[in-house]
Amino acid sequence: MSDEKIETTTPVELSAKPDATDGKRVLGVVPGKPSSGERKVITSDDTVMVWPHLLVRHAVVAMATALVVMMISVFFDAPLRDVANPQVTPNPEKAPWYFAALQELLALFPPLVAGVLIPGAIILGLVALPYIDNSKFIRPRHRKVAVTTFTVFIVIWVALTIIGFMFRGPNWGWVWPWQEWHGEL
Amino acid sequence: MSLDENNQKSVDDRAGVPDEGLIDRVRNTTVGKSIIRSPRRITPRDRAAGHWASFLLHIYPVKIRKKELGFRYSWYLGVISTVLLGSLILSGLYLMFFYVPSPANAYADIQTIQTDVPFGQYVRNVHRWSAHLMVLAVAAHMGRVFFRGGYKAPRQFNWVIGVVLLILTLLLSFTGYLLPWDQLAFWAVTVGSEMAGYVPIIGDQVKEVLLGGPIVDSSTLLRFYVLHVAVLPAAIVFVLMIHLWRWRKDAMFDQEAVDADE
Repeated sequence: MSDEKIETTTPVELSAKPDATDGKRVLGVVPGKPSSGERKVITSDDTVMVWPHLLVRHAVVAMATALVVMMISVFFDAPLRDVANPQVTPNPEKAPWYFAALQELLALFPPLVAGVLIPGAIILGLVALPYIDNSKFIRPRHRKVAVTTFTVFIVIWVALTIIGFMFRGPNWGWVWPWQEWHGEL
Repeated sequence: MSLDENNQKSVDDRAGVPDEGLIDRVRNTTVGKSIIRSPRRITPRDRAAGHWASFLLHIYPVKIRKKELGFRYSWYLGVISTVLLGSLILSGLYLMFFYVPSPANAYADIQTIQTDVPFGQYVRNVHRWSAHLMVLAVAAHMGRVFFRGGYKAPRQFNWVIGVVLLILTLLLSFTGYLLPWDQLAFWAVTVGSEMAGYVPIIGDQVKEVLLGGPIVDSSTLLRFYVLHVAVLPAAIVFVLMIHLWRWRKDAMFDQEAVDADE
């Protein structure tokens, strides 16, 4: 197909001539879009083959992870307390550690706020995050509001988790973990 | 085209490429050809073709951006989470052979696993610690992706899928927590499921659906077991496939940021 023919068969007005070179055929032109779409064109210098470069790294990481799990499992046994007894409530009564922050919130706020509104807001906020922080900036220093908000949230959440996990004893009272240990895994 | 012709064609394509190591000579024997049925991959194009043709490698892209290789980019937390999921599936399958989800059997079964089953205590430890580590790894993965801006266009929806994976991870861990049927399990789940009861108006119904009754009992154990060994693992594997698929499609391309190259 010659260049001449292309021009007669494409009724749209092109702002620039299609960048076809000798020996290549233009199969179609979509008006209003650059030929490479909206993605930045990547040169082959910026990319590497996944095999071996990435796969070797992943293999090493996988083996290191397995080694850590094996070591922990050799030296520490999973806990097993007495058989479940609905008549005997332990004090303190603790949720698993990843819900410790929620349990700590329950001690501070009414159940509707701590048990429903806050977790619901967290999930909704996480889901909505990419659509709220939708600027074209990707570096942390160019999106200070998002980074600050998220960091504050993380710090509060980690602090609440540690407090709920280690610093709470009977009747959800304050204890020092080096004096009384009530964390359960 | 037969395999041999295919091989021959690839060989012709790289006239002048030096052979032949020991591996090449083994590969060219009848037995060697039957084991490794593909030609030797030498040029980048060959290797890309080999990658495309491999079933095991199909979850990976052929090429990725160089900057994604390093520790700083991801801290490899996604791989770590996936490896831990694999460890949990393997150890969990082994434990399933020795466990019956009823209040009369569950606790004794765990004791048997720990004392009589070969490697039982070790496998149970692997399952328990992998579970805790996976919650940590998935949460840390989310944090790393946030600070890197990994959720920026065009990858917004893969972040949302990641949030779903975090929730599934927590639910898997929580349902598994009940199964040993000891005091720790029973009361942690009692406290945890009380939160469902705080939902306005339908709270009690939600809790009853979750527990199979007003309190934690045998129907709760069965319900959590089915969720833990069938429903939730299937769900997390399915959603993880979509997550990795989207990662694979995007891995060659930079995000649409104006300040990426600074």
